[in-house]
Amino acid sequence: MIQLNNLSFSYKEISALSNINLTIHNGESIALIGANGSGKSTLLKLINGIVFPSSGSYLFDGMEITEDSLEESKFSKIFHKRIGFVFQNSESQLFNSNVYEEIAFGPKQMGLDEEEIEIRVSDCLKLLDIEALRNRTPYNLSGGEKKRVAIASVLALNPEVLVLDEPMNGLDPRTKRFIRELMLKLNASGKTLICSTHDFEYVDGVFKRAIVFSKDHTIIRDGLYNEIIQDEKFLIENNIK
Amino acid sequence: MLIKSSADLLQCYDIIIIGGEEVEEWLFKEDEYTPKEDKDKFVDKSTFAILKILSNIKKQDYIIKKGQFYSLNPMFKLSFTIAILVFISLSKNSHFIVLSLFSVLVYLLFLDKVDVKTIVKLSLILPVFTLVMLIPSIILGNISNSLKIILKVFTSILLINVLSYSTKWSELTKALKVFFVPDIFIFVFDITIRYIYVLGESALEMLYALKLKSIGRNPKKYNSLSGILGNLFLKSKETGEEMYSAMECRGFTGEYSYSSKFRISYKDILYCIYNIALIAAYFII
Repeated sequence: MIQLNNLSFSYKEISALSNINLTIHNGESIALIGANGSGKSTLLKLINGIVFPSSGSYLFDGMEITEDSLEESKFSKIFHKRIGFVFQNSESQLFNSNVYEEIAFGPKQMGLDEEEIEIRVSDCLKLLDIEALRNRTPYNLSGGEKKRVAIASVLALNPEVLVLDEPMNGLDPRTKRFIRELMLKLNASGKTLICSTHDFEYVDGVFKRAIVFSKDHTIIRDGLYNEIIQDEKFLIENNIK
Repeated sequence: MLIKSSADLLQCYDIIIIGGEEVEEWLFKEDEYTPKEDKDKFVDKSTFAILKILSNIKKQDYIIKKGQFYSLNPMFKLSFTIAILVFISLSKNSHFIVLSLFSVLVYLLFLDKVDVKTIVKLSLILPVFTLVMLIPSIILGNISNSLKIILKVFTSILLINVLSYSTKWSELTKALKVFFVPDIFIFVFDITIRYIYVLGESALEMLYALKLKSIGRNPKKYNSLSGILGNLFLKSKETGEEMYSAMECRGFTGEYSYSSKFRISYKDILYCIYNIALIAAYFII
């Protein structure tokens, strides 16, 4: 579904990703692991078509994703519909006047009828356990609530791939456990999950595969999540644990 | 697990049950969706505009690495730039104006190629407007004075751009100390530049989020933009308050003293001699 070939990316003169080769199949659940500044967030932005590779290619379902291809409005909209991104800072993702409008933003644009929109929003509110927040202003919510609203607003688009950038950051343990459960459910329902994380304690059992980034912005290991997470020596050497 | 059959779907229903209520089927199946045509260039344009401002601020980090002219003492650069600007404005002598122009063009030799291109491009635009405004004067036969004004405008803009592209803004604000600008003002300038960047980054993230969610037709585009602006305003207010609290916690009482220790090298002395000679030319020619 997602294929990255010899992909590199640099901000001005600073390299952020170097020679990345990666294939992600439909329905996989993948954790991106690495120290701060190793390139995880950049890779997630790249997968979502926010930034574009300096060299190499990115194929999504066989179609090359480039700045030019996303210039084509229809193609860009279909691509963004199929892949949902939950930002590390969920506050940036919330710009509507209330939680209902926030979640309904995507479905409304899809041209769904009122009834269908109501169903989607209600389901997302239920799924994220935020029904009580329906009429609240997103800006005034707590960190955990904002995260839930951000996830709900992305899920309302019903994306096939869900990309999460350190979703557990700054959340209380109960919310972390809730997000873990949610990720398990979503993956079980067929969604592809790609998630960068440092919070290994709370993501137990969610991911089948782990991709490890080095401080040189390259992939140094790609394998089973459980095997990698048990390799204490490797994790300490690479400033992950 | 991939949904291949109705049995799989039923299994998913078993998994996704919240508070005894089942979530509807839509989440488990792919949408058959074809987006409608919509004009949505405004998000791209806004994103591009902010990116441009941010990259202008960000590139300040790389200024010092580029070369000799970039590392000149900003106090001298600022002082002489302002002095030369004043003398160019005062001068009625076309020889002095041409000399100043050549002296500024000499600076370009020491700048990075990319910067030179940008500086020249920017400096050529405004004199065109001056030329247009002066057309009546030229038609009436006042050619010499009109040309002088155009040359003055071109040289002045060139000079300011050379200063701006070769000096970090943070150093420029510190150099204002030469003109007895109070430290607290310099501090406020510094914070302003920093927060343009911080808020610009937030605005950019929100625009990215809007773009990612803009998957169809949005009849209320400007509502989304006003939402972003509103959030940004709240964020700037919150950040400002937080910063003030942080400053108070670190002993800030409303006074601030900036220490600006700039080294003077032989390059600075050469630069000073060069400029003093140019100022002397104003009185001699």
